[in-house]
Amino acid sequence: MPATDSSSAAAPLTSFGRSFLSHRRDQIPPPPPDHHSHSHTQHPSSSDLEIDAFHRHAADLLHDLLSDSNSDPSAPDLLSLAWTRRLLDSFLICLEEFRAILFALADSQPLSRPPLDRLLLDFLDRAVKALDLCNALRDGLDLIRQWRKHLAIAAAALAPAPAAQRGEAQIRRARKALTDLTILMLDDKDAGGVVGQRNRSFGRAGTTRDSLPHGHGHHRRSSSGGSSGSGSGSHLRSLSWSVSRTWSAARQLQAIGGGLTVPRANDIAATGGLASAVYAMGAVLFVVTWALVAAIPCQDRGLQAHLTAVPRTFPWAGPLITLFDRILDESKKKDRKHSCGLLKEIHQIERCSRQLMEVTDAAEFPLADDKDSEVQEATQELVQVCGSLKDGLDPLERQVREMFHRVVRTRTEILDYLSRPHNAG
Amino acid sequence: MAEDGEEKLLATVQHIVQTLGSSDTMTEDILRVFSNYDGRLSLDKLYAARAAAASAAGGGGGLGGGGEHSMPESPTLPLPPPPAAAVSAAAAAGRPPPVTSMERTVRTLDRQISQFVAMDRLIWADSADADAFLEAVDDLIGTVQELEAAGTNRGLFDRAEELLSRCMARLEEEFRALIERPDDAAPAAPGGFRSDGSDDEEDFGGGDGYGDEPIPIAKPVTDYDVVIDALSPGSVANVHQIARRMVDAGFGRECAEVYAAARRGFVDESVARLGVRPRTAEEVHASSWEELEFDIARWIPAFNMVFRILIPSERRLCDRVFDGLAPFGDLAFVAAMRTQALQLISFGDAISSSSRAPERLFRVVDMYEAVRDLLPDLDPVFADPYSAALRAEVTAVCNTLGSSIKGIFMELENLIRRDPARVAAQGGGIHPITRYVMNYLRAACGSRQTLEEVMEGDFGAVGGAAAAVDPDRPTSSLAVHIAWIMDVLHKNLDIKSKIYRDPSLACVFLMNNGKYIIQKVNDSELGVLLGDEWIKQMTNRVRRWSMDYQRVTWGKVTTVLQTGGPGVGGLPATAMKQKLRMFNTYFQEIYEVQSEWVIADEQLRVDVRAAVAEAVMPVYTALISRLKSSPEARHDLYIKYTPEDVEACIQHLFEGAAK
Repeated sequence: MPATDSSSAAAPLTSFGRSFLSHRRDQIPPPPPDHHSHSHTQHPSSSDLEIDAFHRHAADLLHDLLSDSNSDPSAPDLLSLAWTRRLLDSFLICLEEFRAILFALADSQPLSRPPLDRLLLDFLDRAVKALDLCNALRDGLDLIRQWRKHLAIAAAALAPAPAAQRGEAQIRRARKALTDLTILMLDDKDAGGVVGQRNRSFGRAGTTRDSLPHGHGHHRRSSSGGSSGSGSGSHLRSLSWSVSRTWSAARQLQAIGGGLTVPRANDIAATGGLASAVYAMGAVLFVVTWALVAAIPCQDRGLQAHLTAVPRTFPWAGPLITLFDRILDESKKKDRKHSCGLLKEIHQIERCSRQLMEVTDAAEFPLADDKDSEVQEATQELVQVCGSLKDGLDPLERQVREMFHRVVRTRTEILDYLSRPHNAG
Repeated sequence: MAEDGEEKLLATVQHIVQTLGSSDTMTEDILRVFSNYDGRLSLDKLYAARAAAASAAGGGGGLGGGGEHSMPESPTLPLPPPPAAAVSAAAAAGRPPPVTSMERTVRTLDRQISQFVAMDRLIWADSADADAFLEAVDDLIGTVQELEAAGTNRGLFDRAEELLSRCMARLEEEFRALIERPDDAAPAAPGGFRSDGSDDEEDFGGGDGYGDEPIPIAKPVTDYDVVIDALSPGSVANVHQIARRMVDAGFGRECAEVYAAARRGFVDESVARLGVRPRTAEEVHASSWEELEFDIARWIPAFNMVFRILIPSERRLCDRVFDGLAPFGDLAFVAAMRTQALQLISFGDAISSSSRAPERLFRVVDMYEAVRDLLPDLDPVFADPYSAALRAEVTAVCNTLGSSIKGIFMELENLIRRDPARVAAQGGGIHPITRYVMNYLRAACGSRQTLEEVMEGDFGAVGGAAAAVDPDRPTSSLAVHIAWIMDVLHKNLDIKSKIYRDPSLACVFLMNNGKYIIQKVNDSELGVLLGDEWIKQMTNRVRRWSMDYQRVTWGKVTTVLQTGGPGVGGLPATAMKQKLRMFNTYFQEIYEVQSEWVIADEQLRVDVRAAVAEAVMPVYTALISRLKSSPEARHDLYIKYTPEDVEACIQHLFEGAAK
């Protein structure tokens, strides 16, 4: 009977990974699974070739993320929803290939032998931190989904039958929705996720014991909310975050990227090159999580974590650094500096809601033609953003969940492998 | 009679109005006073009466043309069709009211509504105010629809719509206040405001399944058969009235949003009171198992409370408030509890992704079972498409917990393999790993249905057709895996036995552990899982080790004692004395060592001693008696051990170091 837990390590790539791999086969052949490799019989350069292929493919994937619409008409704009989805796709492919190469070469390069075990454990530490980011990102996406609802109300109010002019009623309704939206967005920006912590002050100290409900003990209670039902924004609480309030995305990123050191040449040699693959995966993990936090609202979002110098000798170093720098540049732009997320759609929301609010501020009715066409224009953009959010948010959230589960799985498999005794039994 | 009376009353009012009213506005003021005074004098009726009078006096303007302005509809979410059918049918069939009257209507409504909208207290603090306001809103909605259908008076339509949007803003505030602070509202008027409630189902009930029952009630759940009624029936009725107006006017999204925002606070606080602390995956990974056990012990009841009481209660409330107003109720419901639900779920994810140390099995099984048992009960609560993603998350966490259990159970194997062979049990006794594994497996058998389920990868299948998995057969995945673990244990013990320099002690060690395993298997469900065949094999092994022991320890002793058969010439006396001396040495050595060895099982101990005695005693007795009967050997014969001594010593073997 085989050791049952090895089956999970050898689990086939998911259909997702496979289709992507085969899709890209024309460019770089994926490393062939090498089950027969034994350190004695194996040609010394075979594992090198596979690891090289991994590095080059990572470089390709990153490079694709940098292509703009000039070079590739199908390329989505940097930091758009579609781009972010592509970013996650690329990450998942990288992770899948990393995992495949790790276990394919594990026979010739036992993972549990130093220094590889140490490097892997270090990578796994970073991976755990990415899990909480995934949860926080999901909350962030839910927040955007919430914004979208208000946006949709505004869009619905302003975009009735094409020919109709927008009357005071529609403008009023849209302005109200946009005001609510702005409050929500500001709320998030100011607080950086402090919102919702009203209920976060509970700990698990003994005080909670007596408040445990006794089944029927739920009484009708009135909310401790604002004193007046007519307060304009007091009721608009954005979502609570599913991470504790002291949690910080910025700090998390620093932990993921911190101490990411280039493996020494003799470590690379001693591990048949796997040390460099682990390093590459760590760097990709960091930049991808960093880019996601850049794009999506997060509790205590911040991009201070920096990418420690990556040697240009790695084929992916160039595109990785460029990607990092481009996003950093984007975050420094005047109109984006204080944004709650660099996602292109968030920018659009901010821009067109601001525009609509300005145009319709103290407007006379019926609207003058030029104003109305201005409103119409902004409305079109509004409708378009609404549409792309509607189409993009759910798949992106699923990808973030997928990332969570894949990271968990990869981590479990590596730990399994490391803990499995190889000399006994 | 009543009809008659009402007609008379209306006629009287009309008369008063005509005699007193010198201007339109004044007339309207009076109308309003009357209409507020008595419910029978609704504005509808008064206006209808007036319109009838007016049209009898002169013709109205030609109204016609399709309304090209539809109610503002969302581009993404299909709104239910505005209830314009009745209105336009009326407009087409009967004579449309004259434009002038419409203008007046709007003006009247404006005046009336403006007062309400400007009110600095809750309109619903006074049920008469609330009724009047709702009635005005209904009129306004009807008017807007009529104007839209007519499509001739754009200016008036815009005015009416603008008024409507102010109404909606106010209704939204009232709605939120009523949900957040239901006690501030006046008790619902007797009989409530139910003027045209019967129309609802025709307008909105079609096909969405909500129109069939007056109040959909969440399916009660066993054990947690409690429903939190956060709002009194009166408050629910009030809130429902508002929701209906908002949806009627095309403000369903706003209504769903404000509902969700208002309920979220309650949901958050309810969950907070359960004392579960949000834990990041990182914290879970870094926490000690004791802490996590504590958290899990909190989490399971909290999870049940939330998913079995709180969420179904929210569903019920939402279904009542948005009765007949799908899909806004579904939207509102998900938005209200999504975050808290996900947060609870994420703890399950974090636990599943953390360490797979074998001792974690039982608590994780508890978590898995809580989630799995919940799944079928979720169906009625999460039936709509908006909740589907949430339902999927619960299923997903059930699966990850299941795989985690599988992983933890597999980890037992690694634990056995890793157990160092450096230290063997003293005196060949039962090794701690044997005790650990057997007790672990016995305890695991208590959850064998669940374990079988996860071994089969059959997560959360209970209640479904696939639930017929019978773990109690030696070919089930669980049984096969347990047999495999027993194999691993056996191999590990075999390696450990090699540490003993004395091969006899190795045999005793294996015997002891083998016997212990058999015992534990026999007096638990493990016996059912492993089957009779397995037990027979194991028993044979123990017997073989026992025979090996006899051979290795006592073989040379009995060989020494062989005298070549009685009567046949026989050995010379010196040779026999030599044999005795050798026996004495061997026996003393064996006794000194092996009396400190251990055979834990009493029966086994008795059996082994009996086998030793059976092998040794006859030959020894024979040797002694031959020596005694030999004339050469008899003198200076030194018998160190009489046969009785030997027998007694044998009975003291394996008593352990303590002796």
